[in-house]
Order: sequence, then structure tokens, then C-alpha cells
Amino acid sequence: MWKHPWGYKEGFTISAGLVLTGILLQLTTGAVNTDFLQFPVNVFLGGLYIIFIVVLSFISNKNTSIRWLSGMTASITSISAFLFLVLIMGLTRQSGVHDNSGILGVLGFKNMLSSWSFVLVFIYMMSVLALVTLRRLKHFRWKKDIPFLLNHLGLFITLFAAVLGNADMHRYQMVVGSENPEWRATEDSGKIIEMDLAIELNDFTIDEYPPKLMLIDNHSGKTLPEKQPVTLLIEKAPTAGSLLDWDVSISNVLENAAPVVGRDSVHFVEFHSEGAAAAVYVTAANRKSGKQAAGWVSSGSFLFPYHALKLDEKVSIVMPDREPKRFASDVNVFTKDGKNIHSVIEVNKPLKVNGWKIYQISYDERMGKWSNISKFELVKDPWIGWVYAGIILMISGAIGLFVTGKTACENKGEND
Amino acid sequence: MTWETFIYFAIPSVILWAAGAYFAFRDKRKLALTLTITGILVFAAYIAGIWISLERPPLRTMGETRLWYSFFLPVAGLMTYLRWKYKWILSFSTILAFVFILINIFKPEIHNKTLMPALQSPWFAPHVIIYMFSYAVLGAATVIGLYFLIRKNDKNFTESIMHLIDNLVYVGTAFLTIGMLIGAVWAKDAWGHYWSWDPKETWAAATWLSYLIFIHYRNHKPKNLRNALYVLVFSFILLQVCWYGINYLPSAQGVSIHTYSLD
Ligand code: HEM
Repeated sequence: MWKHPWGYKEGFTISAGLVLTGILLQLTTGAVNTDFLQFPVNVFLGGLYIIFIVVLSFISNKNTSIRWLSGMTASITSISAFLFLVLIMGLTRQSGVHDNSGILGVLGFKNMLSSWSFVLVFIYMMSVLALVTLRRLKHFRWKKDIPFLLNHLGLFITLFAAVLGNADMHRYQMVVGSENPEWRATEDSGKIIEMDLAIELNDFTIDEYPPKLMLIDNHSGKTLPEKQPVTLLIEKAPTAGSLLDWDVSISNVLENAAPVVGRDSVHFVEFHSEGAAAAVYVTAANRKSGKQAAGWVSSGSFLFPYHALKLDEKVSIVMPDREPKRFASDVNVFTKDGKNIHSVIEVNKPLKVNGWKIYQISYDERMGKWSNISKFELVKDPWIGWVYAGIILMISGAIGLFVTGKTACENKGEND
Repeated sequence: MTWETFIYFAIPSVILWAAGAYFAFRDKRKLALTLTITGILVFAAYIAGIWISLERPPLRTMGETRLWYSFFLPVAGLMTYLRWKYKWILSFSTILAFVFILINIFKPEIHNKTLMPALQSPWFAPHVIIYMFSYAVLGAATVIGLYFLIRKNDKNFTESIMHLIDNLVYVGTAFLTIGMLIGAVWAKDAWGHYWSWDPKETWAAATWLSYLIFIHYRNHKPKNLRNALYVLVFSFILLQVCWYGINYLPSAQGVSIHTYSLD
């Protein structure tokens, strides 16, 4: 071992060495904290790193060990080592916070992204990738090397920008009520920040899917069949369908209703104020036992309890909470530099203002469609342009891979 | 169109594909092409029908992704047949597609119309469809690889089959890459970050890395077929975990945003 040319043995040993070093660092200094990598530190260190890699690349003509770093065995073994850690991450529940419990916790693998082993192996793989790319750039042949360059440079740019940009990314949550414009947002840590923009909520709307019926077990309260309940979507009335052995027909659908409690039964009437719930009138008959039942079923709301219809000793019919189809906020956004933007923000359609993107994330789920608050996430990610640039290169590279196939790269093989 | 009518489209498709595969063997190229394409069209008609009747792309449940999988297998087989002229590839793709059709006939998963707001995006359909195409191509490569591993030393087979496997993996990995990157761009629009190392994303990364190892290893040691084929099979196992295996992984329970719950 360690006689040139190095092969897989040396490659895997180096990777294992990095993992072990990482573990030792983890035990002595604790998890990695990358918060310091904020502008301008990230630009400075990133610049230094690039210079370092370029210098390494030039020395590699003279130094066999450094030259090895830009070769296939270094590439394959470093990708394998990274894969190994990603697999551990996939098999270990990630806690997202500092968690030292158990052997995996001590090694830092319960929060893999900030474990030393992961960071070291990642930097190693990224450096090999950079050296590989530079080496090919040195004697670049037009056309032939283009797919190679798109894939490798694209991946490098994406990874590099993602890592350097991570600490510059800011994400805050803002909860906006219907009274006043809101300037304050909260960090993950709970700290309250005064923003340079404010959101005023004019209107919050939820469109819901039509009501659904399903069966539950009277004793356990679980859906039937468990985990994968059969459902009946009620798009119009009257309608009919079946749920397991029950033939069900619906004669009346009230989108907005309230219960009226009689002496020995409950029935529902139209009700058009806050807190109204959907209710349907169901008649059901069992195909096997012939049992019959009829009555109102309602999902309930924050104001009214849900109402089930007991079909027999074992089974009841219920209406689960209605699923939102779309939720959207009609807002005015004010900025400190004097802008006033009127817009509608909904899921998958964020609003861009002064370098911030405002995402619709949630609402008061207890209130459901009667929610009069809206929850937003405000994200600033100044490096996203670089990440997208890398992604576009990689997509072009992938198209190249698809079009040219294996035949494109000459199959030299067996070199370094 | 409902899930109950599936069988009336699926069975004719399989019969057409099987006939196509038979004529490919008999070197009746034109007939093989016509039959296979007709089968694909019949199957596509069903997908179009269920798409319309569900009022959303049928891409949400496991059963629906299997639907695309069994659609793309013959498509991938046909493309391979057109480009590299392997007579037996259509038989492979037909058998694989048939298996997935059978699963969907005997164990259809519950289909309903609802689609979470996060999934209502123009990125949704290309993201999943590209992934399913890639899974189909990589599945074909794996089956051929397994067959090859078991048959061991069949010398005149070696060169051309390995070449086919390489090409399939190149195409599959290209689509895997594009699917993953589209997913990243979409994630940025839907919840503010392009990569969150959520369990599904972690396993997607692992799968992708593993196929990268295959590609580079093939380039480095073209004569060492056995190791390369082990990597190929291993990669496909990771792909299975990523596709549906994480539903059963304890480490992924209740934490994946890709289960699309709203809380
Ligand atoms: C986007 C991900 C990647 C893709 C799609 C990819 C694809 C390829 C392909 C198709 C080739 C052979 C074709 C050719 O020579 O032009 C190749 C060569 C190579 N790749 Fe990658 N690769 C990727 C990432 C990486 C990474 C992360 C490393 C190293 C850590 C790496 C190291 C190498 C090396 C050393 C070669 C041989 C270059 C040479 O012969 O000069 N690749 N890659």
C-alpha cells in the first residue's frame, strides 16, 4: 500500500481516515456550526478555497499524490464514502437539533448535516470534483468535453453555492391577523425580528374539496379498512355509492349548516355565519345483513361538534375534516422604501418583494375555513442565482448524457 | 373512466405488447413496431381518461405511479429496440409491465380526487413522469444485469449486452438527474428551500450517487463486469427504498414532507 500508483485500497483508506478524523473531532469539539459562514466571511473563505484548489491543480503536474486526487479512483472512493454517510443518514431518524443520545448520537449521525465526518467527506468529494474538472479544462477539447464539463462544473457550482449560501439564507415566519399590517416576524429560535416590510391581510380564503364520507369502527375509532379507508366523495346531491358492504345514498347536502338538537335526534339546517359546518343526510343499507340506518352526518367545525351516524353495533359513518383545495391570502405589502404592492399569495405562488420571497404556508387550522389569520414564510436567499446556474448546467449535461449515450466518452479505462 | 375499467384497457395492451414481442423475435420489425405502439396508445388512452375523470394528473398514489411505470416500460423497450435492435428487449419490457399491471389489478390503492395545494403546481407532472420513466429504464437495465449475473459466462453475449446496460443506465441516470433537479426547483417554489434532506430527498440523493458510481466505475474498469453489475443491482435496491420503501422505514416515519400532510 501507499506505493504509486494508488488504487482503491488507498482511496478507501483515505475516506475511512476522514470519517474517523471526523468522529474524533465530534467527540472533542462537538458538532460543526456553520453560522459564521455569513457574508462576507463566506465570500472570503470561498475565494481562498478556489485559489487553494487552483494551486493544487498546478502542483499536481509534479506531485503524484496530488495528481491522484484528480483521478478516477479518488472520485469513485470519495463518492462511495459520501454515499455511505448519506445511507446512514437515511437509516437514522434525523433530529434536527443537538442530540447526543445513543452511539449514533455521540458520533453525530443523528444530525448528520452538522457532523464532522459528513462535512469532511463532503469537502473532500467536492475538492476531488473541482480537481477533476480543472484537469480536464487544462486540455479542453471542444465538443468532446462539453457534456463532461456541463455535468461536473454544474455539480460543483451547485454544491459550492449551496454550501456558501446556506448561512446567508434567512427564513422567518410571520403570522398576520385581519386587524393591522404586521411588521414583526419570528426566527426558528423564537426570536422576534422587525422586518423592513409589512403585510396587511385583506382577505383569507380557503376553497375546500367536497365533503367525504368514510366508515369507522365504533370501538377503536379507527378508519375501515385501517390506514387506507374507503371514501365516498359527495360532489352533488342526490347521489349514491357504496362503502364496503354498505349501499349509501345521500339525499341532502348542506355546505353551510348548523345542528338543531331535538328531543331524541339532531338535524341540520342552513346556517351562513362563522362556524358553519358541512352536513349531509345519509341513508344506508347493508347488502349482507339487510340492516338500515338514516340520519345526518357532519364534519363539525370549531364551533359545532362532529356528528356521526351509527350504522350497526360495529360501524359508524363519519365525515372527516374537509381537505383544502386552495388557500390564498389577498394582501397589501408595504416596504420601508415606500412600495405598496397589492397581490394574492397562495401555495406554490410566492410573492417577490425587495429580495424577499413571501410564501403562503398555513392558517389557523383549528378554525379551518373560518380562519382569519394567515401564516407566511419570508425567505431571503441571495445565492439562489448561482444554485440555479449550476442546476441549468447540470440539466444541460443530463440532456447531453441522454443524447450521446455511452458512446460519447471514449472508453479508455484502467488509467489512474 | 374509473379504476374498474382499467382491466379493459390493460389486458388488450398486454396482449398487443406480447404479440409485438413475439414478432420482434421472428424479425418481423414492422409488425412488432405497429403492435407495440398500438398497445402503448391503448394504455395511454386509459391514462388520459382517468386524468380527465379525476380532474388532476394521476400521479399521487402508489397505484397511480405504477400506472405510469407500466406505461413507460414498453416505451423504453420500444426506444431501445429502435435504437439498438435487441430482439428480446420487448419481451422483457412486456413481462415487467405485466407484473405492475397485475399489482394494480389485484391491489389497487385508493384513488380519490383530492390533491394537496402543495402538489398543485406545473412542476408536479414533469417531475413525477420523468422520474417514472427513469425508474422504468433503470428497471430494465437491472433485470438484464441480473439475468447476465446468473448466466455467468456467455462470451458472445458480453460485449453487446454490457453496452446496452451502459446505455440504459446513461439514459436512466440522465432522467433521474433531471427529475431530481426539477424537484429542487419546485421545492423552492412550494416551501422555500430547494433541498431539505427530508427522508425522500436523502434516499433520492443516495440512489443518484450510486448510479454515478456505476457510471464512473464502468469508465474506469470496463473489463470488471461483475463488480459493476453488483453496483447496478445495489443502486436499484436504493431506488426501491426511495420510491416506496421509505413508507416502511422507521427512520422516515412521520417526518417526510413528501407524505404531503398539511401540518
Ligand atoms: C452530475 C454528476 C456527474 C455525472 C453525470 C458524471 C458523469 C461522468 C461521465 C459520463 C464521465 C465519462 C464521460 C467522459 O469522459 O466525458 C465522467 C467522467 C469522470 N467523472 Fe464524472 N460525473 C458526475 C460527477 C462526478 C463527481 C462528483 C466526480 C468526482 C468526485 C467525478 C469524476 C469523474 C472523473 C475523474 C471522470 C474521468 C475524467 C477523465 O477521464 O478525464 N464525476 N463523469
